Amino acid sequence: MADPTGAGQVDHALVARVLLTDDRRAFEQLMRWHQGMVRAQLRRLLHGDEARADDLAQETFLLAWRKLDQFRGEARFSTWLYRIAYTCFLQARRKQSSAAEAIDGDAPDQRISPPDAVNLRLDVERAMRRLSAAEHEVLLHVVQLGLSHDEAAYVLAMPLGTVKSHANRGKARLRTLLADWQVTSQEGRGT
Amino acid sequence: MNDEAEDAVDALLRENFEGPVADDGFCASVMDRLPARRRRNQWPMAAGIFAGVATCWFSLWSAPLASDGWRDWLSGAPSAATMTLFVAMISMTVLALAWTIAEADDRSEPRRMVR
Repeated sequence: MADPTGAGQVDHALVARVLLTDDRRAFEQLMRWHQGMVRAQLRRLLHGDEARADDLAQETFLLAWRKLDQFRGEARFSTWLYRIAYTCFLQARRKQSSAAEAIDGDAPDQRISPPDAVNLRLDVERAMRRLSAAEHEVLLHVVQLGLSHDEAAYVLAMPLGTVKSHANRGKARLRTLLADWQVTSQEGRGT
Repeated sequence: MNDEAEDAVDALLRENFEGPVADDGFCASVMDRLPARRRRNQWPMAAGIFAGVATCWFSLWSAPLASDGWRDWLSGAPSAATMTLFVAMISMTVLALAWTIAEADDRSEPRRMVR
């Protein structure tokens, strides 16, 4: 899972600089590179609640600053940040008692509203909400954030096999929920 | 689910992902709240080194081999005891060097995560 690319090495060099010389600018540079995706991850996990996502992102980077000496390079720096962010998200979710936002994973597999090109984004969003929390989180990390199954297992603290099965089940369910879109797009291609 | 259908779902999900969020002052606000890093205390290491050296000195003080070797070295007539003392010192130095290099490797080269 270690990242052999140049970007990964630069991350490691910056982390070393922060640890050895308390270089706040090096940490700021790391944050500038990674904040966009961490905030996108949290926004997705919180279903678009930007204010709460940014609060958690801030908490994530403050924690990363405090615990930077615990980064051993076992994973990419970005993956390590995703893991901290996900942990913050889980803690916030535990604190929150409102049942309104709980995702009902047992919702019946009804098809989404009739196809309309303008509403594709909304329908994908709605379909994602109908997935179980675990399926949603696995697909977010594996497909949308582009992590490998190994990395997603590390971030979500799940066994690798569980990640793969959630990914397959989630995709199969999305395919059913978005079936009308596929029919339409095939028809569109045929005409 | 066949590969084509899986690819279509993947593509749909990726299209639906907005990508990284623009900074918009986020980094500046976090930097303002960044506390000073706590420096690790150095005294346990210094105390450990001092205790090790003191114990070593105390146990060697009464050993005839060490005192003979030390005396012969100071008098400019190296003996077998002096050579033994030297070999022991060099061995300890090499061990310490190897340990330092191994530690440095561990820090600079990230370990691979096991599956």
